[in-house]
Amino acid sequence: MSEKNLERDVYAAIADPTRRQLIRLLADAEELPLHELTSQFQMGRTAVSKHLAILKDADLVIARRVGRETRYRLNAGPLKEIQDWVSYYEGFWKERMAILNLLLEEEK
Amino acid sequence: MKADVSLDYQFTSSIEKVWNALTDSDTLAKWIWKNDFKPIVGHKFQFRAEPNEWWDGIVNCEVLKVEEPHTLSYTWASAGEITTVTWTLTEGEDGTTNLHLDQSGFSEATKARQGAIEGAKYAWINNGNQLEKVLAEL
Repeated sequence: MSEKNLERDVYAAIADPTRRQLIRLLADAEELPLHELTSQFQMGRTAVSKHLAILKDADLVIARRVGRETRYRLNAGPLKEIQDWVSYYEGFWKERMAILNLLLEEEK
Repeated sequence: MKADVSLDYQFTSSIEKVWNALTDSDTLAKWIWKNDFKPIVGHKFQFRAEPNEWWDGIVNCEVLKVEEPHTLSYTWASAGEITTVTWTLTEGEDGTTNLHLDQSGFSEATKARQGAIEGAKYAWINNGNQLEKVLAEL
């Protein structure tokens, strides 16, 4: 169950387009300071910080203080736990087919 | 990483019955989601699932091919990913039906690990007991 909760954090973290954009930006760079990340968005520094905090809670980013700034790097590990679309749909259709099979059996 | 979804199912029902389950809107609703499907090429329709925190529950589709009772194909666009779903029905021995499903056109981004980011939202759709719920209603 605790595993489920951890997963849910990751899902919740990446459910937001701003946070997905942050992940993409960090995926393309070794490490980025907050002001560079902020410059990519219309929203202010505080809002971006909040999004980064959520990503941090989900263990998707690692933050470190360097002098007066905070620098962020991506930790892609938890994302690997999440299935890609193709695997997702395989599971989805298998489930649907089980239902269809029952429907067809009932018709007889 | 596989590029496409490709699955086969065997049903002990006639090809007509399986075709009906794929093309009759009410029957379709019982095993996929509510929809306004019509087996007419060019018809645009939607599947509507229960929306949740991660997904609006809408799949936008357009019918590409209808060849009763052997082939049915439509686009399947949801959560930013556009794919094509193709059903192929073949009659087996003694009145059984093989149903083959292809879902193709996943973007390169999806095939790469990046796709996990978008796809992840989706994995929660059926999280919980949706299947049990449906089965209980039957």
